[in-house]
Amino acid sequence: MNTKESMKNSNKTGRKRGAVLSVAVLTALITMQAQAQTNAAAPAPRAAASAPAGGGIANEKSFPQIAQGAWKGKRLSDGQPDVQGFWSNTIANHNNFTDPQGGVINDPNVRARPKGPREERAPSRVSDPADGQIPFQPWALEKVKESQEFFNNPIKPQYIEPLARCAPAGVPKSFYWHGYEIRQYPNYVLFLFDSGWRIVHLDGKPNLPEAIKLWNADSRGRWEGNTLVVNVTNNNSKASFGRSGEFASENVKIEERYIFAPDNKRYNYVATFTDPSVYTKPWTATVPARRWSLEDKSPSSWHYKGKPANYEGKVPAGGPDTDHYERICVENNNGFGVAAKPAK
Amino acid sequence: MNTMTFHGPAASLWWRIARHASAGLLLLGAVATTAYAADAGKLPRLNGKPDFSGIWQTTSDADYGLEPHGNREDAPASVGIVEGGVIPYLPQALEQRKKNFETRDSNDPRLKGFTLGTPRGIYYRAPFQILQRAKDLTLVFQYGNSVRTIFTNGTAHPKGEAQEFWLGDSRARWEGDTLVVDVVDFVEDTWLDRAGNYHSDALHVVERWKYLDANTIEYKATLDDSKVFSRPWTLSVLLHRHREKNFQLIEDYRFTTTYDALYPPRKP
Repeated sequence: MNTKESMKNSNKTGRKRGAVLSVAVLTALITMQAQAQTNAAAPAPRAAASAPAGGGIANEKSFPQIAQGAWKGKRLSDGQPDVQGFWSNTIANHNNFTDPQGGVINDPNVRARPKGPREERAPSRVSDPADGQIPFQPWALEKVKESQEFFNNPIKPQYIEPLARCAPAGVPKSFYWHGYEIRQYPNYVLFLFDSGWRIVHLDGKPNLPEAIKLWNADSRGRWEGNTLVVNVTNNNSKASFGRSGEFASENVKIEERYIFAPDNKRYNYVATFTDPSVYTKPWTATVPARRWSLEDKSPSSWHYKGKPANYEGKVPAGGPDTDHYERICVENNNGFGVAAKPAK
Repeated sequence: MNTMTFHGPAASLWWRIARHASAGLLLLGAVATTAYAADAGKLPRLNGKPDFSGIWQTTSDADYGLEPHGNREDAPASVGIVEGGVIPYLPQALEQRKKNFETRDSNDPRLKGFTLGTPRGIYYRAPFQILQRAKDLTLVFQYGNSVRTIFTNGTAHPKGEAQEFWLGDSRARWEGDTLVVDVVDFVEDTWLDRAGNYHSDALHVVERWKYLDANTIEYKATLDDSKVFSRPWTLSVLLHRHREKNFQLIEDYRFTTTYDALYPPRKP
């Protein structure tokens, strides 16, 4: 992972809390420390540095299809399938949209390991058409190639991927850049990404007026059995799909299907993109995802940064709740470049 | 007003909150004299507790300046929202506040689209949404698009070294129908308003959220910061529920505006 995209919640620690703790609290902490050794809720070790793309986050080379159908798993009080928790994609990152384990295109850096033949890497995220390529109109394909040519030498500011400035990753890039969380409420599904949030409205309200275009678009959803179906409009399409430069326009309509497996441990994100101003025909992306929890041993912090919450009393019988520190990209609040400091 | 009797984990959590007991007592006095009376029977509830779910916004001009002030070129006059009218700065900190005021046109973190912080995000005049579960409240802020979780699951602040968060670490308990939130672990990079009022990383906030009626929340925050203030002080605003048909948050990423025009690629 590019260090420019390291998150606020993983650094700038080191200030001792001791100064604000009373003796009573210290006593409580010591007691709690003793308790922690006798139950399974000891705090997780500090998350390791993110694994490089192609290494620890590359993961699987193939993934199971999940059929749409009835949902027999647990439900929330309002009837929604309960899919809350922490998720992350299972194949690499945003380096390369159509060859996810192929690394940055035209990367001047020498790869630690040879790529090998294409068929030994995970398939394109473009699942339809069958050639794995986005059916760009000629002018748009030229723009993609131009972006790839200058990505590693951005002689103009438009060649810098906006995510490098901590702009929101948008749709669909948010689903293959860092782990994320799903929380559910009556009438809402909330996605918490490291690069912004999405609220999916389930209450049937109309989309926002067309004049409003957003980094994370506007989402209207409904549940069909095991599948959350979301219509995405009002996308400003500034985020791009990755470092390989694929893109849509502000006119794009996206139908997303989040198809959850019966065991509630995986889902496939299947999204169809329709945009006559950029593509010659609609096309579909598929991004597999898996669940992460405190039971996972030593996950990459790229995928999962949950940690057991701090209980001063007994940890609940069902195990501790999961803490996740705030998701604020460093550069959101520091201008461009990690080294830049906010003006005082 | 409820008395302070707690049991089990909540009691020990309260001990940590009560390390700033003076702040808590100030608050108790203030709430007890509130003239409003909420109709508790009509309040939305979740698991027996008040359900603050909804989209909220203040009509107060607090963000222009927390203390009483006359009008100026960049602000309307306001009586402010500080109890007693004056923020009790330490002498050196007061000098810094004056510098901040003089340079507010360029140095207010708000102007850069930064996360507003706690409590500023609450009384900044932009909507925020509360999404509530039994174990937590999620606050989604339209301005800057930050997300704050207030834990109501009986957990305490993270152990060990202090963290540095833009919005702090929020652990809460219910005191009757009032949500009492203890917030610590701040960065020093946020301001409290457009007039240069500020804090350090030693900031400690105790919030009290209480329904006055089903569409109005009385929000109080007591701020303590031994590096900046001579004593804890309290501010208070009302938050109103957005009831417009189909009202929703619309993301407001101010920090992207300098490069928005560069993307996406255009047809030649």
